[in-house]
Amino acid sequence: MDRRTFLAGSLGVSLVPFMSRLAFAAGKPVTWWYESAAPAQQEAIAKVLVGGFNAAHPDYSLTVDYRGSELDKQMRVALLSGNGPDVVYTAGPSYVAPMARAGQLLALDDYAEKLGWNKRILPVFLEMGKYDGKLYAVPKTYETLGLFYNKAVLEKNGWKAPTTLAEMEALADEALKAKLVPFASGNAGWRGNNEHYVTIAFNSIAGPENVYKALKGEIPWTAEPFVAAINKLNDWWQKGYFGPDYFSLETEQFFAQMAAGKSPMLPSGTWHFQYIQSYFKDNADQCGFVGFPSADGLGAPVYALGVGSTLSIAAASQNPDGAAAAIDYVFSPEFYGAMNSVWQGEWNTPLEDLSMVKISDTVPALYAETMKTLADAVGDNKYGYTSWTFLPPATDTQLINGIEEVWLGRSTVADYLAQLDATFQQEKAEGKVPAVPAR
Amino acid sequence: MHRLYLIPTLLINVAIIFIPAALTIALAFCRWDGMGIPVFVGLANFRQLLADRVFWMALGNNVIWTAIFLTVPIAMGLLAATMMLVARRGSAFFQVIYFLPMVIATAITARVWQGMIYSPLTGIAGLITRAGFPVPNPLTQTSTALYGIAVVDLWHWWGFLCVIFFAALRQVPQEQIEAARIEGASFWQMLRYVLLPGIRPTITLMMIMTIIWSFLVFDFVYILTQGGPAFSSEVLSTLAYRSAFYDLAVGKAAAVAVVISLFGLATTAVYIRLQAKEFDQ
Repeated sequence: MDRRTFLAGSLGVSLVPFMSRLAFAAGKPVTWWYESAAPAQQEAIAKVLVGGFNAAHPDYSLTVDYRGSELDKQMRVALLSGNGPDVVYTAGPSYVAPMARAGQLLALDDYAEKLGWNKRILPVFLEMGKYDGKLYAVPKTYETLGLFYNKAVLEKNGWKAPTTLAEMEALADEALKAKLVPFASGNAGWRGNNEHYVTIAFNSIAGPENVYKALKGEIPWTAEPFVAAINKLNDWWQKGYFGPDYFSLETEQFFAQMAAGKSPMLPSGTWHFQYIQSYFKDNADQCGFVGFPSADGLGAPVYALGVGSTLSIAAASQNPDGAAAAIDYVFSPEFYGAMNSVWQGEWNTPLEDLSMVKISDTVPALYAETMKTLADAVGDNKYGYTSWTFLPPATDTQLINGIEEVWLGRSTVADYLAQLDATFQQEKAEGKVPAVPAR
Repeated sequence: MHRLYLIPTLLINVAIIFIPAALTIALAFCRWDGMGIPVFVGLANFRQLLADRVFWMALGNNVIWTAIFLTVPIAMGLLAATMMLVARRGSAFFQVIYFLPMVIATAITARVWQGMIYSPLTGIAGLITRAGFPVPNPLTQTSTALYGIAVVDLWHWWGFLCVIFFAALRQVPQEQIEAARIEGASFWQMLRYVLLPGIRPTITLMMIMTIIWSFLVFDFVYILTQGGPAFSSEVLSTLAYRSAFYDLAVGKAAAVAVVISLFGLATTAVYIRLQAKEFDQ
């Protein structure tokens, strides 16, 4: 190969990455960075999100770039340097305020008005995405925590799904006697799983009113209701409700443990609906879900409200209208129905009216019912607060890591809560607490 | 004119070492969430570290880690390298075998140990437990988590040292070895009086690098335990990472990074002094 051929060849090869855009991109580009997704999930995004949007908006060309689990770090660096995608995907509301304060996000109020988001999205979520009175983010999905259970295991042992905390504890004690692990659970893949159980304890034992007061700074996290809640959670750990392999099991492994009948219950979030068909296979109806039972005096189960990711538009975006159109598409009933038919739990956009949504018959009816129950609870202002949505970052880290110290006897409940409160008060003084809608 | 040849390397060093290092030092004296404008807070980040028990736990773990890696893999590497030198047959084969873990990506090594060896569900530990001999997962106990990670890193690391020591041993003058043999030196005498003195500079360098690398350890710890359970395997670099990327406290993370660098700097100073002494001799 002579030098000229080599240079020409090299030039040609170097142009390959740009060819797809030159050849096929008919519209103005809209870029979106996404976290990690399994091949089937990437297929759903390509078909339902990218394909659906591009077909409906020929003026734009949406591309989704997968950035893995380090997305939020990459996003922060990119935005800091004035680059990054048009659609900004954050890891939750606690990340929105610092980005908005740094001028990295575009205010969405005009788009919300023009595109009708104010009427379509549940008002609570619009409040949560505000900073300094302006709307900067809308939730990509919202979720809640509850209790999955294996109907076959319950039937076999003559148990029934618990409706009170006392019933739940009685069932767990019976399960221990039957050599079962009461709660299918683990944190090997994601240490953050710890916070699901602390959130449950705070909301279902201390109660959402107390959590609200603590978030607003009206009572400290060391208040008696929180002491009682963490004491109870610690009792459950010490009795063995979480099993001997908690620190060894990854999320799908403990879900499989429940599906295999080795655990009767699985206290966790609605994102687990995506695993039902994989692990229960033809017996999907054998998986039940109820709100986590509340302590005496709190009444009906509390649905803790969680937002695991939000969508914004970069201030430096070259195509803010295109980005707004993409977000708008995600908030359409058609998209909700199509995406939730193939992928449950991760695209539960907070639509106020779900009556127009059509989900495939293959999806367990339980999923749609649960989402409807959650939407009603939010609409009626009867919801709780998840730690990953409403706590500032360092407080949330302390909540996640500190509870292990309590469980493993390296710290007391009082010390844990005192440290949690100290971190929270410091972050509150620094203005890092995410917006908390009035009850 | 010849000084102009320094410019390319100087530019690279300034761009990728000096500027980030200077920025990190500057950030250690600021409060910054990684997004907004840094605010100067003086020594507040360092004062916060001194009062943070997790910082002291992490520092203690780094010291334990250094002690482990200064002894176990170096002893294993030296022993295996010497044996390969004495019994030359198959040494090429063993070099490849010992070196193999080093070329496997850290993430893969860690996941293999986590899932195929330590896991009570899918690992060998689980298999043994189901056979009636309970073997707990070391990564899940506060008393053993750090050592469980160290075993994985040792498996990955000691072969590298072995190959380095073997290469150094081959440079020891053959006459000295022959003379020792003729004088009837035993294996241990040969090792103690001929081979080890012959490769002392290599051992010193590896020990210095081990100290520096031990304070930088991150990958295996983060993948296997993320510093848990209950901070029992937290090291300075995982603390810095968590502070920067989870707590959004980049200033505190930079302060931790400065502490890590101080240990590296002190070790490097010792090495330079030792080298200078050798040159003088």
